[in-house]
Amino acid sequence: MTKIELTVNSAKHTREVEDRTLLVDLLRDHLGLTGTHIGCDTSQCGCCTVHVNGRAIKSCTMLAVQARGAQIVTIEGMAKDGRLHPVQQAFTDCHGLQCGFCTPGMIMAVAALLNDNPHPSDAEIYHGLEGNLCRCTGYINIIKAVKQSAGVLRNG
Amino acid sequence: MSDTHTASRREDLRLITGRGRYASDWNLPGQLHAAFLRSDRAHAEIVSVNAAPALERPGVVAVFTGADAIAAGYTRFPLMANFTNRKGASLLKPERPVLAHGKVRFVGEAVALVVAESALAAHDALDAIEIEYRELSASVHVDDALASSASQLHVDVPGNLSLEWEAGDDAAVAKAFEQAAHVTRIKIGTTRVVASPMEPRSYVVSYDAAAASYDVYTSAQGISLLREQIATLTGVPAEKLRLHLRDVGGSFGQRSGVYPEHAALMIATKKLGRPVKWVSTRSEGFLSDAHGRAIQMSGELALDHDGRFLAARYEFTCDMGAYLTPGGPSGHLRNVAKCMTGVYRTPALYGAWKVVFTNAAPISAYRGAGRPDIAYVVERLVDKAASELKIDRAELRRRNFIPLDAFPYKSPTGGVYELSDFAGCLDKALPAADWAGFERRREAARKAGKLRGIGLAVVIEGTGAGQYPQDQVALEFDAQGKLSIYTTTLSGGQGHETTFAAVVAQTLGVAPEAVTLRESVLGKEIIGNNTGGSRALVATGSVCKLAAQKLIERARPLAAEALELEPSQLEYGEGAFRSRDCEKVIGLLDLAQKHISKNPHPLNLIAEGAFGSTFPNGCHIAEVEIDPDTGVTEIVSYVAVDDCGNVINHSIVEGQVHGGVTQGAGQVFGEHAVYDRDSGQLLTGSFSDYYMPRAGLIREIHLSEHPVPSKLNVLGAKGVGESGCTASLPTLANATMDALRPLGIQDLDMPFTPSKVWHAIQAAKVK
Ligand code: FES
Ligand code: FES
Repeated sequence: MTKIELTVNSAKHTREVEDRTLLVDLLRDHLGLTGTHIGCDTSQCGCCTVHVNGRAIKSCTMLAVQARGAQIVTIEGMAKDGRLHPVQQAFTDCHGLQCGFCTPGMIMAVAALLNDNPHPSDAEIYHGLEGNLCRCTGYINIIKAVKQSAGVLRNG
Repeated sequence: MSDTHTASRREDLRLITGRGRYASDWNLPGQLHAAFLRSDRAHAEIVSVNAAPALERPGVVAVFTGADAIAAGYTRFPLMANFTNRKGASLLKPERPVLAHGKVRFVGEAVALVVAESALAAHDALDAIEIEYRELSASVHVDDALASSASQLHVDVPGNLSLEWEAGDDAAVAKAFEQAAHVTRIKIGTTRVVASPMEPRSYVVSYDAAAASYDVYTSAQGISLLREQIATLTGVPAEKLRLHLRDVGGSFGQRSGVYPEHAALMIATKKLGRPVKWVSTRSEGFLSDAHGRAIQMSGELALDHDGRFLAARYEFTCDMGAYLTPGGPSGHLRNVAKCMTGVYRTPALYGAWKVVFTNAAPISAYRGAGRPDIAYVVERLVDKAASELKIDRAELRRRNFIPLDAFPYKSPTGGVYELSDFAGCLDKALPAADWAGFERRREAARKAGKLRGIGLAVVIEGTGAGQYPQDQVALEFDAQGKLSIYTTTLSGGQGHETTFAAVVAQTLGVAPEAVTLRESVLGKEIIGNNTGGSRALVATGSVCKLAAQKLIERARPLAAEALELEPSQLEYGEGAFRSRDCEKVIGLLDLAQKHISKNPHPLNLIAEGAFGSTFPNGCHIAEVEIDPDTGVTEIVSYVAVDDCGNVINHSIVEGQVHGGVTQGAGQVFGEHAVYDRDSGQLLTGSFSDYYMPRAGLIREIHLSEHPVPSKLNVLGAKGVGESGCTASLPTLANATMDALRPLGIQDLDMPFTPSKVWHAIQAAKVK
């Protein structure tokens, strides 16, 4: 067992974890942040995407101990002061979610994508979302949501 | 947050903020964790099982095996619909112990259950269980399973054949074929696919010894059917099964039935006296979730000199996997027979089915359940006939459409189609796709070194009639005077909270926010169907409307009393009762508020209705471009004209079509659960090997509605959940074939993977 400290959604946490505990399990099981989902065991679905020190990371591919001292944002930390993040807003505006299981990971991936590239082309959006699977929407409305939120973020 | 939120759907806010509650989000105090040891053999006798070493592992509490399943008597799965053939034989349904006993019959079958203090500890202990197998030869393909040399999966199923079934008139078809000027033949099939909703299966089960009842926390497609099925499998009375169902991360038919894991966990929790939680990994999901489709089909179409259809004959060989799921082959038989004539007047029709066991994961419903399969073979056959006869594909269809004056149309194999305007859908779709200008685009592509093709399909499907003869909906006011709708359906993304609330709110003339949908809630004594078969809005949605109308009538005398008038003196509209002169008014919700101290609330009610199968239909057109150097097919454009009857929420309907078309595209271009024909191992057991549609596969869908309201239900709805899949399978395949046909390629089948297409092109060049 190792003792780690990390910041999640602006709150500091200290936990004892097994060396092999995955970050996603720390978030879900130890911190009760079940908005981050697990959709696969081969790092392919992106349901578990969170931000670690400002970068989108699949939290099933990172050990909890590797996140020691990190600043982590999960889907629960995206809305601020009662206002949805523009990407969250765009997903609902554009009907970019159906069952919603992929959605937290999608939103985290899109927010990071737009942070890195505020003006993505269609091809860059497809490429940026290659690691996020959605079984419900056919992605068409997700792409719309990416474009809407890109516009809002650029102007905001 | 709610005041700044402008959600298009009622369910969205919790889902985009991470506050949804899916099955694996449940945790109970004191819970233990489960992991299943799964067979790594496709077909073998179990000589011995030694679980003792696993019990030595840290954290392990107990191990359960097939012997426990036999002791509990958990071996007989329910079968939602049996089928009997003309000789009087019914489906042979072998027993299936919830943990394998005596034999394993597919790779991934649960053999033992380890329960431990943590999920990691349970998984760690799996490899300590010692199992000795005696291997048998395995048949993962229907042809192998039907061969005389095949080893039999079940002692009570000779030849691995569960049933031979038929529909239609064989003799009339044979006669028509004798008179035919032309016969077109095709042999194709739908691949075995894995529904793969993004949420893996997960169950938390606990036992209350005092009440002899079980609490089951999971995701499903509705409360009634799953509870009944668990009861049938385990013998535990339905009222002792308390199901807790909330958000569902996609279903697509795969969650329609009881699974062995439900019952195995019940054995464990009862024995151990603590809740037990199991969360499937994706890898074991690929092995053990019900798979879908997998029908080998051959079709023959007889035409006269003018290209009019005289008769059609089909053979269907249905791969059921190793056992019958509760859904069994009902989609493969009933849904296929119902729409075997497609959208055409075909005077004589005959189909023959074989329902076959193989050493593969059991098959159940998957989005469309037989509907996409029959549409695929019919529409490919028609395209091939058009090419052989050199008749324009749209024209050949037009010549044979069931005309408007022939409805209601009784198909020779069962379905009674309600009014549909196939020509109208086609007429809308052709210009939208610029069908007429296609040859120019083909030529331009050719100059750029690409093969371009355009394809269309006109399809119809019968939506699910439901397992229960009627659907009930309850309307109840709570202590704060808020109105809730209770149904037995369960949305897996279809947006019922928005749509059903809209139906009730519109009927009552109140704001949608005044009404909240609560689906599949424990303790509501209503009976009704699952979500599935594209029927939730058609049937349950219709009863929502009836319930709202009933509420108005139930409220009328109370309103009269409040306004000191006779009930007959009141008019209802815009959410309020009014005297004729409009002098006296009382809002329905205010009236309800006046009575909240009464228990039960006098306006609470249950409405019911029986609404059967409807017939969504439409015309889809796709254009594709193939790079002959790589075999990669790109979907260049997609047009969908759908008649799903009256629409309540257009963006939800659009979303359903997007999702359905994309799942179809996934199957056409890559999805395929492939088992090694010798070893019986699943070769496509993860998202790295199993093709999944990704962003950009279909970039846009031009959608138009062509509604012909249904007369079979009070909403005039026809359903939309499956139509995208049903239409896109033949549409995309026909487009791809159109690109390849100029090379002389006639009979390529799905999945049109780059390597398959490239090889076909190379082979055609050599010819
Ligand atoms: S759960 Fe992390 S990528 Fe699938
Ligand atoms: S909305 Fe269901 S998986 Fe994306």
